Amino acid sequence: MTASLQTAGGPDVPDAPLTPERRNAIITACVVGGAGCIGVAVPMVASFAPSEREKAAGGPVEVDVSSIAAGEMRIVEWQGKPVWVLHRSPAMIASLKNHDALLGDPDSKRNSNYPSPDYALKDPSTRSIKPEFFVAIGICTHLGCSPSGPFAPNENAQLGDQPGFFCPCHGSTFDMAGRVFKDKPAADNLQVPSYRFKSDSMIVIGEDQKKSA
Amino acid sequence: MGLHATQYKGLLGWIDARMPSLMTAFRTHMSEYYAPKNFNFWYFFGSFALMVLVIQLVSGILLAMHYKPDANLAFWSVEFIMREVHGGWFIRYMHSTGASFFFIAVYMHMFRGMLYGSYKKPRELVWLMGWLIFAALMAESFFGYLLPWGQMSFWGAQVIINLFDSIPLIGKWLSTWIRGDFVVGDATLNRFFSFHVVLVPLVLLGLVVGHIFALHDVGSNNPDGVEIKDRTDAKGRPLDGIPFHPYYTVHDLYGLGFFFTAYCAVLFFAPEMFGVFLEGNNFIPADPFQTPTHIAPLWYFTPYYSVLRATTSDFRLWIALAAVVLGVAVFTFMRARTRGVRYTVLAVMILAFVFAIVPKLQQDQRLWGVILMGLSVMVFALLPWLDQSPVRSIRYRPGWHKIVIGIFVVAFFVLGYLGMSPTTPTRTLVAQLCTAWYFAFFLLMPWWSRTGTFKPVPDRVTFAAH
Amino acid sequence: MKRTLFLVAAAAAMGTSLGLHAQEPRLDEWPRERATDLVALQNGARTFVNYCLSCHSANLMRWNRLNDIGLDDQQIKAKLIFGNQRVTDTMTVAMNPHDAKTWFGKAPPDLSVIVRARNTLEHVGTDYIYTLLRGFYRDRSTLTGWNNVVYPNISMPNILWERQGPREATLTRIEEKDIAPADGKGPTHRRLVQTVSQYDSNGVAAVTQTELDHGEPGIAYGFKPVDPAAAKAFDSQVADLVAFLNWMSEPEAQTRRRIGVWAIAFLVVFVGVGRWLNRVYWRDIH
Repeated sequence: MTASLQTAGGPDVPDAPLTPERRNAIITACVVGGAGCIGVAVPMVASFAPSEREKAAGGPVEVDVSSIAAGEMRIVEWQGKPVWVLHRSPAMIASLKNHDALLGDPDSKRNSNYPSPDYALKDPSTRSIKPEFFVAIGICTHLGCSPSGPFAPNENAQLGDQPGFFCPCHGSTFDMAGRVFKDKPAADNLQVPSYRFKSDSMIVIGEDQKKSA
Repeated sequence: MGLHATQYKGLLGWIDARMPSLMTAFRTHMSEYYAPKNFNFWYFFGSFALMVLVIQLVSGILLAMHYKPDANLAFWSVEFIMREVHGGWFIRYMHSTGASFFFIAVYMHMFRGMLYGSYKKPRELVWLMGWLIFAALMAESFFGYLLPWGQMSFWGAQVIINLFDSIPLIGKWLSTWIRGDFVVGDATLNRFFSFHVVLVPLVLLGLVVGHIFALHDVGSNNPDGVEIKDRTDAKGRPLDGIPFHPYYTVHDLYGLGFFFTAYCAVLFFAPEMFGVFLEGNNFIPADPFQTPTHIAPLWYFTPYYSVLRATTSDFRLWIALAAVVLGVAVFTFMRARTRGVRYTVLAVMILAFVFAIVPKLQQDQRLWGVILMGLSVMVFALLPWLDQSPVRSIRYRPGWHKIVIGIFVVAFFVLGYLGMSPTTPTRTLVAQLCTAWYFAFFLLMPWWSRTGTFKPVPDRVTFAAH
Repeated sequence: MKRTLFLVAAAAAMGTSLGLHAQEPRLDEWPRERATDLVALQNGARTFVNYCLSCHSANLMRWNRLNDIGLDDQQIKAKLIFGNQRVTDTMTVAMNPHDAKTWFGKAPPDLSVIVRARNTLEHVGTDYIYTLLRGFYRDRSTLTGWNNVVYPNISMPNILWERQGPREATLTRIEEKDIAPADGKGPTHRRLVQTVSQYDSNGVAAVTQTELDHGEPGIAYGFKPVDPAAAKAFDSQVADLVAFLNWMSEPEAQTRRRIGVWAIAFLVVFVGVGRWLNRVYWRDIH
């Protein structure tokens, strides 16, 4: 590389190589110029990020849960994704105990790929703020299809006598708290989005539960 | 083994052994391109223009990520970029300020050519390619200006495309074909977007490469107009030449600092430049039913726009007069190489006279206005042949040549200023006088440029160490 | 007496055909220091929402952008949004542009960039709008009962009339007119005519015309408010409103200038470094 930086010389120009002063000047110019280039690059790179319009469209969504009957599930759109709001019946809640041995990650220890908020994971068996309402992003953690369900016991061949959800693309199954069953293509539990109870009958998806709760 | 011999080491050597064209290009165009050592202030603007081209390409690509070329969405999408895209305002202002600075750099660059005779033999092709770049740049900014879809965008495009109507026989069909509709509309916007983002940038890039190659093939001129290749040393290197790299890379970097300072001062503190760079009227969404009271093109087009508006029905009289004078002068005095050239020019002058003044064949002033406006842009391309001065540089020409060029510059600025303002009878008269000087400067150049006492041109460049 | 009456009649006939010139009346200077005054901007936002937003939209402005002038989401939702809009929505209005055109003759323009849209080579948008909003006077002869010194025969009614309070207006116009001779025979001649129109606070006009021997064509106006203190308070409120409109036209203006200072400072350093680098090489050239 040094060959190119040296002057090729000329009649009026002695073949002066890179003197220390020249080298210092070049390095300083590169550092200062580089800082300038980074400064200019910052807004350019930032322009790729979601704009205010996208953020507004991806804003929180309110769902009135009082209108969802026990055992029913409503699907709403949030940030372009399907979010399940399932009103779990007592039978469904009861089904969440006693099958930890069948689950791939019963205590939601693997939380990094599809992170769910801490307040939702306080009770690892229900994975929700209130046991009656299960909120989850309805996207399979394998490769992104939307699983079908909820299925009652013995309603779906892959699930067998377990109630839960079944993803038709590659056969992963999840229980009524979105926990993935063992030996399935998916390795992570379904992601729970941030959400909070604005009142007993209204949840807001996309906003965090305040600490006091 | 098929590898080339290389003087370089390491990764560079590996590449050079397989693709020597890279380093050959570097040597030919940078480290062993011998440029005259006496470049002055006027010689910065070529590299400034190149820098602005890069800025426009980068900011343009980023804008195109968010802009919507639809008549209903365009205006809002630009404001969306300004307000809601992170850093969007900065990118938008980069592009709008860049457009104006591109023309500042290019006009200064062209003026250098006029001062030092850079277009004279053997650099005519460099000049012609440069003129094509200038024309492409005008097209690029014309197409680009429609995109924000403001009042000025819309009506400016409407007026300029309607100029094509005045072409005899095919005019009306042609302007409809260009627009894709009967008036400027969504169809026009979409195709102008395609031209502005893809077509003309590709053309510009090709022309710029050609321009630089053409220059490097013959070598750069200098403020003294001395041909440095006439005096070389034992190794064939010009005595007054220095390698472009590192001397001029470093020099241009220094100059760029000043240029960027001016550019950023405008971008951050006066992006509208009091309505000259970003016009107030363009913050009103385009309305096909309401023409603004005051349509003006952007400042870099205003001199030629002035010429268009100065061409009134009375002005045709002047055109006819000019045609007679030039016709006589050409026939009597012109020392063209071939008789063919003399007779062609004479024929053109006779036709001009006929179409300007002879009843029945007289063309209306709208067509003449378009012709003169077009000529006022094209005449620059003819400089290598109009300028018959025996010396290149203004430094060794008769002193009064400076006054002639000075008045031309003043006329150019006056025309530019008038083009931004509404017309009054007095202003039209002034514009006509300036137009007359403008064309006289060029068309009479074969005579005045070789008249007077020329100073002796030195053998070597004049240079003060700094 | 006969001559004056004749002139009035002639003017009435010819005045409409001549139309009103592009000569601008004097524009008041908007107090620039309010541009960055958060209190003024917030006050202006409130005025804007209360008076303007029913007819004029601001489609490019998102409610939560008002965070930039010191209002938080709670305040915006509680005090400024009258309706079901979310704080992340844009300031749209319910008025249909087609209806608006039928009712007013012209759809009320969107005000997101109005201040920039009124910048010309002759005046700045802030001064123009500041004078316009304070330039209404009662005029019985128009559709809305209001007229405006800056924009004659404006379609917009004087929305802020309650805050402006009643006042009298005097308009003086000097222009060249073709006057027919008194006896009706012979050619017209061009004279400088001064028309003074006096409007009382109910909009009834008294018009007098005189011929002048010398003078400059132009338009001048004056107002006499019934309550000068209220008028001053009104001026201040409009100044705040204009400050808000100015901010809304370019919300990032302050950020732009702030970053600009750093950019120029950096470039000064860069020029210094560039000069050093240039010199260490060019020292060798003789």
